[in-house]
Amino acid sequence: MGMNIVIAGAGDMGYHLATQLSYDNKDIILIDTDREVLDYVSSKLDVLTVQGDATSFEVLQRANVENASMVLAVTTSEKTNIVTALLAKQLGAKRVMARVRNHSYLEADNLAYFNNLGIDNLISPTMLCSREIYNMIENSSFTEIFDFGGGKLNIVGVTLDQSNPLVNQRIMDTKSNPIFEDIRIIAILRDQKTIIPRGSTIIRNMDHVFFVSNKKNTENILEILGQKKVEVKNIMIIGGDDMALTTALRLEGKYRVTLVNKDKERCKWLAENLKNSLVINGDYKNIELLIEEGLEQMDAFLALTESSETNIITSLSAKNHGVYKTIAHVDTREYIHISHSIGVDSLINKKLVAANEISRYLKKGSVDAVSGIYGVDAEFIQYSICKNNRVIKNPLRDLHFPDSAIIAGVIRGEEVLIPDGDFQLALNDKAIVFALPDAKTALEKIFH
Amino acid sequence: MIHFKAIGKIMGALLVLIALLMLPGIGFSIHYGEDPWPVLTSSVIAMIIGVVLFLSFSKQDQNIRKREGYLIVAISWLFMAGFGMLPYILSKEITGFADALFETMSGLTTTGASILTDIEAMPKGLLFWRSMTQWIGGLGIIVLTVAIFPLLGIGGIELFVAESPGPTSDKVHPRISETAKRLWYVYVGLTIAAMLLYWAGGMTFFDAINHALTTLATGGFSTKNNSLAFYDSAFIQYTAIFFMFLAGTNFTVIYFGLVGKFKIVLQSDEFKTYAFSLIAIALVLYYPIMASGGVSNELAFRKSLFQVVSIITTTGFVTDDYTQYGEGVTFICFMLLFIGGSAGSTAGGIKFVRHLTFIKNSWLEFKRLVHPRAIVPLMINGDRVTGRIITHIMNFLLIYLLTFVMGSLVLSIMGYDLMTSFGAVATSLGNVGPGIGKVGPVDNFAFFSPGAKIFLSLIMLLGRLELFTILILFTPFFWRAN
Repeated sequence: MGMNIVIAGAGDMGYHLATQLSYDNKDIILIDTDREVLDYVSSKLDVLTVQGDATSFEVLQRANVENASMVLAVTTSEKTNIVTALLAKQLGAKRVMARVRNHSYLEADNLAYFNNLGIDNLISPTMLCSREIYNMIENSSFTEIFDFGGGKLNIVGVTLDQSNPLVNQRIMDTKSNPIFEDIRIIAILRDQKTIIPRGSTIIRNMDHVFFVSNKKNTENILEILGQKKVEVKNIMIIGGDDMALTTALRLEGKYRVTLVNKDKERCKWLAENLKNSLVINGDYKNIELLIEEGLEQMDAFLALTESSETNIITSLSAKNHGVYKTIAHVDTREYIHISHSIGVDSLINKKLVAANEISRYLKKGSVDAVSGIYGVDAEFIQYSICKNNRVIKNPLRDLHFPDSAIIAGVIRGEEVLIPDGDFQLALNDKAIVFALPDAKTALEKIFH
Repeated sequence: MIHFKAIGKIMGALLVLIALLMLPGIGFSIHYGEDPWPVLTSSVIAMIIGVVLFLSFSKQDQNIRKREGYLIVAISWLFMAGFGMLPYILSKEITGFADALFETMSGLTTTGASILTDIEAMPKGLLFWRSMTQWIGGLGIIVLTVAIFPLLGIGGIELFVAESPGPTSDKVHPRISETAKRLWYVYVGLTIAAMLLYWAGGMTFFDAINHALTTLATGGFSTKNNSLAFYDSAFIQYTAIFFMFLAGTNFTVIYFGLVGKFKIVLQSDEFKTYAFSLIAIALVLYYPIMASGGVSNELAFRKSLFQVVSIITTTGFVTDDYTQYGEGVTFICFMLLFIGGSAGSTAGGIKFVRHLTFIKNSWLEFKRLVHPRAIVPLMINGDRVTGRIITHIMNFLLIYLLTFVMGSLVLSIMGYDLMTSFGAVATSLGNVGPGIGKVGPVDNFAFFSPGAKIFLSLIMLLGRLELFTILILFTPFFWRAN
């Protein structure tokens, strides 16, 4: 069944979504007002483009929205998105989704009004990012953290350096440590390649390793790594756009937040809207200023300005001044690989966060949840075993699982299980699978 | 320049209003078998002059700008004082211009200081007019006038600007005349409620209505020589505390409370500070009163709460002589004279919102010193107070204190002792009533010389009209075209 998806807005987010969805063999129709942007997109991707204002009936009809299974309105204008979604729904689109900026739209009561109007879902990239940043701060010892089953199962990523006891060990040797009964290494990123480890795989210096465990054992991972849990207390944020504000708002209840921004008028506005944060007006590129405002006492540094370069550079200098955790907002795709290798702790990318959320939403039904990893094609996919098919009749080793995928963990009721070859899935299990792109077709076959 | 003719029309309407509000007093005079002519004559004089003024200027266009606004506020009070003292003079109950002016001004400014040595001997009709002057002054002539003048086709926004230069900008209704009308309903409604409760508590109908008028105006004129101490009734005294508290609350907040918008009430930083401070200070004063012996816990607390609420809301009723508990308590009560109620209430004084602005801003100043580049906004009721308003409020505080110091200087030069000078000026400027020294809670102002009485009357007016409104008339900027 071909899935006809209409995307309004070929900006960064629309482009990214189109890319991701066209890899999944979806038929994409992209609407934008700018002919040149559309020409560029069609030269790169196999999509149909329609030029025009997405809020006009004529353009929506040309884009064939009446047969669309999904309309994603993701232009930079909130109002355009809402109107487009409303009209598309009336014209017969099955599901519609609009990107918004106003966070109050996302409150449950207000969201219900939009649902009544026919808009199935709203998405706010800044909101999602701030939520993700909050999560990263809460689990500051890890670069990434993915939650499944409402937090029962965690997958965490961390880069290992020379001093780490795991480096130069074979995977099978690590099993002698009793803690590893409930924790497993499920993937290694090395030189921008993704490795699914076997028993003989050797862990190297600078490997980025993903561990899976249940919530309780997540802290034990630190013990394996020979680290202590650091409690974050003081946080410095640079930048002053919506994302910096939303993030500060989310963090200021629990942490002491200092926010540095260049524009004085904007600072005044920020200071009015933040209750407990200290708003500093100054040039965040000036490291002396940041030090004066206590950079060296900070436990976390969030670089959330519009400029990816500034964010990467300031994060690195913050790291040099002894800040424990740095997170940089990197919007430029090309920088994602390099920033890991030069030492930035964690990255956040608005488009990827939003695209993840949308893919997750699109795959609802067949797949419960999807999480992408920065700069890597691989994904974590959660499948529910809801039918009585062959997966639950045989142990895992007989399922002919593709080499490029691995079951990271299984949630059975309240329990979290880390499966081995003899493991047998049962009805109503939720299996979290780590998969490279080429494994997707095989996985669809196994689970459906 | 200034449109004096437009002002004349408004003064005419105001006098008609005064004349009408004198009429109920005539009823009491007749009921108690007194001579009704002094009040009746005053009413007729005010009515005739009012009608003549109004008719002769009624064809004027209604162009009222900021300057006329200030002038109208100032002249209105002088006009009202001039005609308001007629009943006292015509009845010969109060002789002498200075005494009559003092008593009338003390009423219209809701101060409540009195030159009468035996209040109970006064004719009832005059006592009623005396209480009525406070009620008229109470919500400020402004709310009364914007409720009535729009009917004559005169706008009133300029007046509001002149009356309340504070940072409060709550809107009950988008139209100012509708706002005024609603606040006026609140004022009248609470006055009636207070009257009924006083009456139910054992006051005579006459006393109940008089005390209700002066309670809601935060005035403090009583029909008894001993003020509310005359009523040895916990019910009456707690009723008085409750209504003094409401009268010192921003009427907009009361309005929102009455229509069920409690969220707005709880958002008001001024209201929260006001309510909390009253209770905290009452608890502080409870101990010395308790320690003085001879009173039950309840009575000590009631005495403490009553005096604190009475002084802070600038009402000035008394049930106890606070100067008898030693220098410490006297000094605390003296300091309370400088607090004042809430902005937008009938209370006078500096008012909580200004104290709050000053204290918060001073506190944040320390943060600004440590972080010179930080943007540290001053937030009140969820809104940022701009630098312009902060400066305005700081200036107000300084001019207020300067006025107090210079006023005390004048009185001491006139030969009064320092305590009395401080007390009389502080209580006049804050529109409270009782002070310290020879003008304590159980004393009166009769002993001052005529010059001192006129001087204190002007201090009351200065305080009531928020300093700037009067002082601006003495600046060249006001009178020059550019």
